[in-house]
Amino acid sequence: MLNLTQSRRDFLRRSLCGFGSLALLALLHEEQARAQAHDPLAPRPPHLPNAKAKSVIFLFMAGGPSHLETFDPKPLLNRLHGERRPTEFGEARYQQITGDARLLGSARRFARHGQSGTEVSDLFPHMATCVDDIAVLRSCHGDMVVHSAAQYELFGGRTVPGFPSMGSWVVYCLGSESRALPAYVVLPDPQGALEAGQPMYMHGFLPAVYQPTMLRSGPQPVRNLDLPPGVTLSQRRETIRLIEDLNAASLPPGDEELSARIRSYELAFRMQAEAPRLFDLSGETRPTLDMYGVGAESTDDYGRRCLLARRLVENGVRFITVVSGGGPANMQWDAHHDIEENHVRMAAKVDRPIAALLRDLKQRGLLESTLVVWGGEFGRSPEAQAGRGRDHHNLGFSMWLAGGGVKGGQTIGATDAIGLHAVEERIHFRDLHTTILHQLGLDQDRLNYLHLGRQERLTLVHGRVIPGIA
Amino acid sequence: MNGYGINPRKASLAMLAQRLLALCVCFCCAANGYTDHWSFAPRMQPQPPRFTEGAQRAWVRTNVDAFVLARLLEKGLKPAPPADRRTLIRRLSFDFTGLPPTPKEISAFVEDPAADAYERLVERLLASPHYGERWAQHWLDVVRYAESEGFEYDNYLPGMWRYRDYVIRSFNDDKPYDRFLTEQLAGDLLKDEGGRMKDELVPADSSFILPPSSFHVAAGFHRLGPVRRNVGNQNVAFSRNEVLTEMTDSVGMVFLGLTVGCARCHDHRFDDFTQVDYYRLQAFLAGTQEHNVILADAKTKAAWEAVAAPLQKKITDLKRSITTAKGTDKERLQSELKAVQSKLPTPLPSLCSVRDVDTERTEIHVLRRGMPEKKGKRVEPGFPTQLSPLAGRASDGPADPSLARPANKGRVAPTIGKTPRTALAQWLAHPDHPLTARVMVNRVWHYHFSRGLVSTPNDFGVNGSGASHPELLDYLANEFVRQGMRLKPLHRMIALSSTYQQASVHQHVDAAAARVKDPDNRLYWHFPRRRLSAEELRDAMLTAAGRLNLKAGGPSVVIPLQKDLVDLLYDPAQWKVTADVREHDRRSIYLIAKRNLRPPFGQVFDQPDLQTSCPRRESSTHALQALELLNGDLANRLAEAFAKRLEQEAGAKDPARVVDRAFLITTGRPASVAERERCVAFLRRQPAREFALAMFNLNAFLYVD
Repeated sequence: MLNLTQSRRDFLRRSLCGFGSLALLALLHEEQARAQAHDPLAPRPPHLPNAKAKSVIFLFMAGGPSHLETFDPKPLLNRLHGERRPTEFGEARYQQITGDARLLGSARRFARHGQSGTEVSDLFPHMATCVDDIAVLRSCHGDMVVHSAAQYELFGGRTVPGFPSMGSWVVYCLGSESRALPAYVVLPDPQGALEAGQPMYMHGFLPAVYQPTMLRSGPQPVRNLDLPPGVTLSQRRETIRLIEDLNAASLPPGDEELSARIRSYELAFRMQAEAPRLFDLSGETRPTLDMYGVGAESTDDYGRRCLLARRLVENGVRFITVVSGGGPANMQWDAHHDIEENHVRMAAKVDRPIAALLRDLKQRGLLESTLVVWGGEFGRSPEAQAGRGRDHHNLGFSMWLAGGGVKGGQTIGATDAIGLHAVEERIHFRDLHTTILHQLGLDQDRLNYLHLGRQERLTLVHGRVIPGIA
Repeated sequence: MNGYGINPRKASLAMLAQRLLALCVCFCCAANGYTDHWSFAPRMQPQPPRFTEGAQRAWVRTNVDAFVLARLLEKGLKPAPPADRRTLIRRLSFDFTGLPPTPKEISAFVEDPAADAYERLVERLLASPHYGERWAQHWLDVVRYAESEGFEYDNYLPGMWRYRDYVIRSFNDDKPYDRFLTEQLAGDLLKDEGGRMKDELVPADSSFILPPSSFHVAAGFHRLGPVRRNVGNQNVAFSRNEVLTEMTDSVGMVFLGLTVGCARCHDHRFDDFTQVDYYRLQAFLAGTQEHNVILADAKTKAAWEAVAAPLQKKITDLKRSITTAKGTDKERLQSELKAVQSKLPTPLPSLCSVRDVDTERTEIHVLRRGMPEKKGKRVEPGFPTQLSPLAGRASDGPADPSLARPANKGRVAPTIGKTPRTALAQWLAHPDHPLTARVMVNRVWHYHFSRGLVSTPNDFGVNGSGASHPELLDYLANEFVRQGMRLKPLHRMIALSSTYQQASVHQHVDAAAARVKDPDNRLYWHFPRRRLSAEELRDAMLTAAGRLNLKAGGPSVVIPLQKDLVDLLYDPAQWKVTADVREHDRRSIYLIAKRNLRPPFGQVFDQPDLQTSCPRRESSTHALQALELLNGDLANRLAEAFAKRLEQEAGAKDPARVVDRAFLITTGRPASVAERERCVAFLRRQPAREFALAMFNLNAFLYVD
């Protein structure tokens, strides 16, 4: 706590040297302690001791990547290719395909990698080199088999929109480590939006301060950070000084809310001054850029965004979602028509950048404090759709976790022999949420907010920490 | 004791919250014989306290004050002095119309020598057509009004704006609340009593197959929840359950002020009885189906169908062929399909409503853990046990009438006949319903004072806050009922009170001591300052810029947004910007409410997310707001216009006049000497546009005292 106050005072002094006024200084001195309580983004300690993770990077594979082509080899499925699903595997409800569908074997080759011998398909040759840092979860399942509702459940724990997403919850509880950057950032795929739309990333009923910042592609990723045309920085500095002087002059003593508003202008100015530098990748070395695949056609976009994610984490951003896939189904991992065509193409965009991100975080000593989550809103059906495609499938699929105190080099859970149902160590989205919170030192029960007469949580139904994950 | 082994009366709220998470606690407690939860009990008949001391008697202007003062004195608190007239007119204008007072209005009021100047101001504002626009927004928040369905397709709800206009009109007409709720719950079942829509689309002499009326529009209430639609295999029972859940929960929150919404959840440990209550409530809506009323006479409709029918048949055929076609054949068919689809005539205008379809009545079962595949016993419509039969006033009450808490004798709930929704409306509209009037007067109080007497306006259950002034709440509810459930008398009683006319905290002579006794101002020892809502802020900026277009009603306006924002829609083509640019400057209530794309200005300033009921807006403070008002497109464009207006009105050569004018327009008062000096110095060096922008960033502009 002492440290916190100290650094806060430093920060105030530093920012005041830039453009503050004396009236403010006196005010801030007096108000400092109370202001802390009035600052919704002040860093707060986690609930649990010894939490490892401070930040989360969610590599969201939108549309639902196939477990059968990536992390969950099913030799029996290949043997049963073209046949009907044997009844002993039970029932499944798909969005599109109906009862007479035939099983579809996988064309991918799997091999064991690393010291752990984790099985990864040849879609991900780069990721395969990182398996000793990765815990593959083969038994994930959710409740919905359609995109929008499944995406809401993955992000917010409910199959309906209107509830805060993981990122908002985490910032609500832990505050922000960064004063120059937004605490919760989404890097959407510039190719297009997703079915669940913006509400999936949103803060729901939490105060607007916990909303995500949606980064745009291009030179000015954050809205309103750039000055309007025709306005110079020195001019704007004068304007802000005027605003501060007028607001400070009419500030009644002891007014916490208005003091907070005055401080928000300092933060805004700081963000404006410092954030653009963080978004500028030109300071990165060539080897780093190459490692992420920046400059190579298929990996340039996702590589840039993964690299940006690392820079954001380095600067204390709490929660970052990097979306792969956007726009029409086949521009996502939503391979209804041809699993091979879709997944080869999609994997080629993300494989190298993701491996680079893990390696880069590790060599900078950031992987221990950064939980990396990989996965989509569901997996894909063992049965074929339209001959070579796979339908949505929510009953058993793979995700993975790395860093943030997670024990790498392991594979947790299992689906049945054709990848239809998760059968061992079943992991529901709520268990994933509970685990993410736990790695951040948060207790799902203490992370709540009174809304419409209920203490709402991220996990509506209690989740459990995935056994053996740490 | 209830089924969880805890006595809800003794258990702490936190414990209850945890144990009964996601459970409709109120119903649960009701079911467990927790009969004397205050909000389920009949209203008391409290008499306003009387005062003998001169200053106290003088302070009591309306009976509101009597109740408030009694509690203040009990705690040894003094009220704040009355606010000055400039503060009052700004407070009243935003409160009643959502707009700032004009400089002319301010000077007229400040200089008005008449003893009833304040009363006349209140009357003027209550009669303003902008009153409905302001208060409708509150209602739209509560009913989660949006004009698109949300989820994947986020389709527009055709003509949903008519519901918004209906609400505005209802507030302006001071429609009795019992009528207002009846029209929304069962408007489609009401006989048309001359309440036809005043709308150019519905000529009075036209021969409609089904004559649409404003009641059909009102019943669009049931269409306001997000709807999940998907292609492919349908789980009809599941989807229907989602719709019923939305409708039921909405009735609970909006009219009963109870959070009953639970059926979707997965670990409900309802005991049977409580679940029965929930599903019996749902059963009132079992036959209710969405219905879009086409706004065209028979002739127009027939002409439309003559063109559309063959095309529609072709589309169906093509779609069928496409499912089996392969390769280039498939591509050819697909492009042909697109071509045919584009030939379809523009859909006829329609409006969103509902109807009861007897043959499509869903059998309502108690669902274990809210899951449609886990059916329990079948239930029929029925009123929640603890709220039925309705309370009646016992003739043999206790000696002290102010303590009279009448027994539930001799009252019978309405008969549930063939149209259950009508019965539900009758039951809710009954003057003795313990919740209806209390919930509504509390909402009104909440919007005047930024906090309700019950600070959880959607939750009057045991998990809610309880009332800070239970007698006042019941007194207001009784008066509300006595005056025909009209809101305007209630507004008068509140606005004319000394309580409402107090200055805000910093004028209080002994604020520090008062703060210790009542840090949250729950007893109203000063008027609570509030930040302007997103809508008020935008409207006030447009007003200052001289650009606000005050046109009322009609289809919603789609304002231009930057491409990267529109691209956040799954189908960006849905964002069709309104062609007439003058429309872009209309009041915020007329901007389109699209679930999957909300303009960032509103989002940053705590506009609700349009997905769930919002009974109370957040008021957060953060850097994104500062950035929006400093660098945002809207702020800068309007600052430019504001600067021009100032030059025109005050003359470019006299910066002191510019400054005074600017302060008057944005804050309602002239600048102080120090402020004027500082601003004049600024204007010597910097463009007027920057000064105008600074005014939008003043706390004195952003807050209402």
